[in-house]
Amino acid sequence: MILSGEIKVNAPREAVFEKLNDIPFFASCIEGVGNLEKINENCYKATLTTKVAYIQFKFQVEVEITENIFPEKITAKTEGTPIGIVGRLQAISSAKLLQDNDQTTIQYSIDLKLTGKLGSMGQPVLRSKTKELEQQFAKNLQAAFV
Amino acid sequence: MTTQTSEFGRSIPRIEAKQKVSGTAEYIHHFTVPGMLYGKIFRSTIAHGKLLKIHTENAKSYPGVHAVICGEDIKQLIPSPYYGPAFLDQPILALEKVHFIGEPVAIVLSHSPHIAEAACQLIEVDYEELDAVFDEIEALSSEAIVHDELKPSGTFPDLKHLIGRKNTNIALDYHLRYGSDETIFSDATHVFEHTFTTQQAMHTPLEPMVSIAVPGDQMITIHSATQMPSFVRLEIARLLGWRENQVRVKSAHLGGGYGAKVYIKLEALVTAVALILKRPIKVSLTMEEQFYTISKHATTFKIKSALDASGKILARDCKVYWNGGAYADIGPRVAQKSGFTAAGPYNIDNVSIDSYEIYTNRPPAGALRGFGIPQLVWAYESHTDMIANELNKDPIEFRKMNLLVNGLKQATGTVIQHMESELVLETLSKKMNWTTPIEKGIGHIRKGRGIAIGFKASVSPTTSTAILTINGDGSCLLAMSTVDIGQGSDTAMAQIAAQTLGIPTEVVKVIRPDTDITPYDMGTLGSRSTFHMGNAVKLAAEDALKKLRQMAIQAGLNESETHAPSVILQKTYGMQAGTVVGFGSYKPSYIPTDLNTGASTNVTPFWMVAATGVELEVDTETGHVRIHKMINVVDAGDLVNPKIAHTQISGAAIMQCGFTFSEEMVFDEGQLTNGSFADYKIPGIHDVNFVMENICVSSSHDQGPYGAKGIGESGTFGVSPAVANAIYDAVGVRITSLPITPEKVFQAIQNKTTG
Amino acid sequence: MKPFEIHQPQSLNEALTFLQNDDALTKPMSGGTGLMLMMKSGIYEPKGLVSLDKISDFKGIHLQDNGNLEILAMTSLSDLEHSPVINSTFQVISSTMKHLANVRVRNVARVGGALAHGDPHMDLPPLLTALNATINVKSKEGNRQIPIENFYAGYYTTKLNTNEIIHSVTVPSIKGRHCAYIKCTTRVVDDWPTLGVAMNIGIKDEAIDSPRIVLSAVVEKPTRLSSVENFLHGKVPSEALLLEAREMAVDSIELDDDARGSASYKRQLIKINVHRGIQKCLSEKAQQ
Repeated sequence: MILSGEIKVNAPREAVFEKLNDIPFFASCIEGVGNLEKINENCYKATLTTKVAYIQFKFQVEVEITENIFPEKITAKTEGTPIGIVGRLQAISSAKLLQDNDQTTIQYSIDLKLTGKLGSMGQPVLRSKTKELEQQFAKNLQAAFV
Repeated sequence: MTTQTSEFGRSIPRIEAKQKVSGTAEYIHHFTVPGMLYGKIFRSTIAHGKLLKIHTENAKSYPGVHAVICGEDIKQLIPSPYYGPAFLDQPILALEKVHFIGEPVAIVLSHSPHIAEAACQLIEVDYEELDAVFDEIEALSSEAIVHDELKPSGTFPDLKHLIGRKNTNIALDYHLRYGSDETIFSDATHVFEHTFTTQQAMHTPLEPMVSIAVPGDQMITIHSATQMPSFVRLEIARLLGWRENQVRVKSAHLGGGYGAKVYIKLEALVTAVALILKRPIKVSLTMEEQFYTISKHATTFKIKSALDASGKILARDCKVYWNGGAYADIGPRVAQKSGFTAAGPYNIDNVSIDSYEIYTNRPPAGALRGFGIPQLVWAYESHTDMIANELNKDPIEFRKMNLLVNGLKQATGTVIQHMESELVLETLSKKMNWTTPIEKGIGHIRKGRGIAIGFKASVSPTTSTAILTINGDGSCLLAMSTVDIGQGSDTAMAQIAAQTLGIPTEVVKVIRPDTDITPYDMGTLGSRSTFHMGNAVKLAAEDALKKLRQMAIQAGLNESETHAPSVILQKTYGMQAGTVVGFGSYKPSYIPTDLNTGASTNVTPFWMVAATGVELEVDTETGHVRIHKMINVVDAGDLVNPKIAHTQISGAAIMQCGFTFSEEMVFDEGQLTNGSFADYKIPGIHDVNFVMENICVSSSHDQGPYGAKGIGESGTFGVSPAVANAIYDAVGVRITSLPITPEKVFQAIQNKTTG
Repeated sequence: MKPFEIHQPQSLNEALTFLQNDDALTKPMSGGTGLMLMMKSGIYEPKGLVSLDKISDFKGIHLQDNGNLEILAMTSLSDLEHSPVINSTFQVISSTMKHLANVRVRNVARVGGALAHGDPHMDLPPLLTALNATINVKSKEGNRQIPIENFYAGYYTTKLNTNEIIHSVTVPSIKGRHCAYIKCTTRVVDDWPTLGVAMNIGIKDEAIDSPRIVLSAVVEKPTRLSSVENFLHGKVPSEALLLEAREMAVDSIELDDDARGSASYKRQLIKINVHRGIQKCLSEKAQQ
C-alpha cells in the first residue's frame, strides 16, 4: 500500500533536514520504537511495537538510508520481521523538503509491503494504524521546532 | 480349495472401521515414549541465500530447553547428511545455503512442545541473500541457480548421465521420440497449439507428518506415519552407515497419506537428533508446516497437435515443465514416468515429448495422488476438446476416432493390453445420455457438460513380498509392509489371502507394518499395492497351502481328502502347536526407457484408465460454477471389494475437485501466505452437493490377483478438464489455468463480450 | 500458543470485576471461536481470558409482548438456528444461521462473541444492522444501549470499552417487513463471506418504504448504503429501478484486492448481490 501526505513545520529547510537525519530523534517521533542500535553510518536496527485494539504487532526492523541529498531529499529502505507471526514488512520511504518562507513542507511517500500471515491478517488492520502513526509523527516533529 | 468368489469381490466393511469411528485406532500422532523430547523446527525466512551464522544462544538459555541442534551438529554424526530418492540434495538441516522460505535450519528440543515453540522464536540467522527464482519457465534460463551441482542418488539408474552437472536448474530432462517426422507440422491440414498451467497445491492430510525416533544400543526404532517403512529403513541405514537390521521402522494407520508421507520426511531428522542427544525424539508438524515439506508440482504444458483433414491426429508435440521446488524428492520420477504419457490415450504415429523437472526456490514438490497425471490430463484433454470444437466434431466421437486401445502401440512402443479405454468412454457416453442435447438456458444461468479421459502407467519395476503364517488353530497372520493409509489395503489383502486359503476374511489378522517382522515392499504409492502386494499375498497363501499339503502327506493323512490346517498341524506336532509359513515375492518384468528416445516395449505391468463427465451451470453474472452431476467411469480390473473401490473413486474425484476449484498455494516473493485451512480452501460437504455416480467397467487383468489392478488415483484423472470443457459448453469461454475460480470465469466472460 | 490464565466467574458481577483493570489484553470470552484464530496466528497473546460460560441466566431467546426479540449474549448460534420462536417470527435470522461458518462453530460460538469480535467478514453484524438491533451493554458503572449500526469502528474495533460486556441484543419486530441476507463466497462454501448484503424492506402502497440495505465484508465495518436507500424509498419497484440502484451501490466505496477477489470483481459482486437481495425481498412479499 502507498501512504503519502504532507507535513508542515515552522522552521527552515536546513534545520528540518538535520533533525530528520538525527536518527535517535527521528525514532523518538514514532510511537513504539525501541532498542535503537546503530549498525553503521547509514544503517540502524530497532524494534517496533504497535497495538490495534487488543492485537499487538512486534517487529524487528532494519533501516538503511539510501539517499541523502542535503537539504532536499531523503530516501530510506526498511525491512522488518514480525515476531510471532509469519511474514515480512518492506518499505521504501522518501521525503522531499520544500521551502516556503519560514515554513518547510515535507512531502512524503511510503511504499509499504506486508507479506505472509502478516499481510493477510495484518494489512487491513495496520492500514488504519499507520494513519494514526503518521499523525503522531507529524505532531512530534512539529513540537521539536516550537 | 473351496469357494471361488466368496471372499474376493465381497463388499466387506473395512476391518478397522469400528476402531476408527470409536477413537481406538492406532495412529503415530498419539504415540508417546517415556523420556521423550519434543522438537520444534526453526525455518528459513529467505528464499535463497548463504547461511552465515546461526545465533542459538538465546534459545539455548530459554528455561526448559534441552538443546538446539543445527546442520553442523548433525555433520558430526553423519558426515554426509544428504538424502533424497532421486538426488542426494536434501540436507537433514540446512548446510551452507538455504533454498526456500520454510527450509528447516535448526531444531529446538524440550520436554514441553510449548517451550520448544517459544524458544524457536529466539533464534536469529545471518544470511547473505542471493537472487531467487520461483517460476518454472524463468528458471530454465535464470542466472539464479538453486543447486551448485547435481548429485543423483544412484537408486535411480536412469539419472547417471546427470552426475556433476552444474549451472542448471534442470534436475531431470526426459525425452521421447516416437515416429517424429519433422515435416508433419508444416504439411498438416490443421495445427493447434495451446499452453496450460496448474498451481502448486498440497495434500493436507488431516494427520500432519509425525515421526518418533527411539535410540538403543547401536540400534534405532523409528515410529513414523510413513507410507514406505522398508525404504525408510534402507535410507536411514545408509545415512548412518549401519546394517538394515539395526534400524527398525514401525508404522500405524495413517490419517491420510496421498503421497505426502513417502520417502524421507521427518525420519532422518528425528533419528539424527535422537542419536546425538541419546533421548527419544518426537517431531510433529502443524498443518502449516506441511506446506513447507512437500507439495504438488505447479506446471506449464505447451502442447501442439497436427491433424489431417478428416480429424485424425497425426502428430503431437509436448513440452512439460514441472516446478519441482528447491529439492528434487521424487519429482524426477514424476517428470519421467508420468511424462511419457503426456500425449494422452491417443493413437498417434508421431509423438515428441520433452519433460523437465525444474529446481526453483519454492517448497519442494513430489508425489501427490495422480503423480503428475492430473496436470497432464488437464492440458491434453482441454487441448483435445478445443480441437474438437474448432473442427465442429462431437467431443466423444473425436476422441473415439483417435483413441488408443488394446493391441495398439503407445508412444513408448509398449503395446497396450488390458486397458479398456473404449469401454470406459462408451460407458460414460451412455451414462451421460451424451447423444441427447441438454437445455442450456437463456437467462444468466447457463448449463453445459463436458468429458475427459486420462490414463496412467503403473510405476515399474517394483517389488512386493509378503509372509502368511498359519497358527496351530488354523488362524492366520498376514505380514506385509503395505501401509493402510485409509485406502482399505488391510481389508483388500486379507480378502485376497482368505480367497486363496478358502477361509473367511474375518479370521485373517493383518500385522501393523514393522520392518523387523513385515518383509520388503517398495512402498504404498502409485496405486500399485492391489496389483503387486496382492500378487505377493496370493503367492504367499499358495506357498502356505503347498506346505500344508506336503505336511499332510508326511503326517500320513489321506491325500484324496481335504483337511483343515488345524487338523494337519495337530497331527504333525501332536497337539495344537507349530506354524506354517508361506512366502510370496512379486516383481513384474520391465524394460527401462531408452535415454535418447524414451522408448521401451515393456514399460509397465498395468495401465489405469478413467473418464469423468460433468453437467454444470455457470452464473454468468458472477462466474460461480456449480456441478449438478458427475460421472466417473474407471477400469480397475476385477474388484476386490466393490464398496471400497467406489469410495476410492469418489474420494479421488472430490480431492481433484479441490485442485480444480479452490486450492492454491499463494506466494509473495517466495513466502507462502496461506498455509492454513483458513485461507487454503479444501472442499467441504456443501461443495460436493451434486449427484455422483461411480462405475467400474467389466474388465479383468490376467496378471493381477484374481484379475484386479490399481484404483486409488483413477478418479483424479479427468475431473479438471471435464469441468473446463463443460464451462466452455455452457458459456463459450476457455479457462487454461487451474484453479478455476469464479473471478477467472467471470473475467473470461467479460473479455469474450467486450473483446 | 503461550499458556495463559482463564477466569471462570459464576456471576456477571464477578466477571465485570475481572475486567476492571482496564487492560486490553484481558478479554471476556464466550465461545472463543474468533479469539482462537487470533491466538493461533500469533497476533493476540492474551494475558488472561474471562470465560462467561459459568454465568447463570445468561442465555435465552425471548419474544416480548411488543413483538421485539431479546437474545441473551451467551445464546449459541446453533440455538438461534433452531429456535422455533425465531423461525416463526424472524425467519431471516434462522436462514442466515444455516450458512454461518459451519455446524461445529455454530455449536460453540455465542451471540455476544459474534457481535464483539469485530471482524468485518461476519454474517450476524450486518444482518442485525439491517434489522435495526440495539446492543445492551453492562459494566460496573452502569448499563448503556448502543444501536448496532453505530457499534463498529473498524477492524476488530468496537465501541465496547475494555471493562464492558455485551449483555443482550434487542431486535425490533419485522412484522410487515421483508428481509433477506445474502452471503457471497468465492472460494468454497464453508468460508467467510467475500461479501455480505443484508436487506430490510417495507412496501407501502406498492412503493418501497424505508429500506435498510447493509453491505459487509468488502468494507471495514457493516455499512449502510444510504444513497441506495434514499434513492429507492418511495419508488415503485421495477427492473429498471433496480438496475439503477445497484450502480449507486458501488459509488464511493473503497475496495482492496485480496485473496477472495480483486477490487473490480468485488464491485461486480456488490452490484449483483444488492440487486438479487432486493429481488429476494420483493419475491417474499409477492409470495404472501
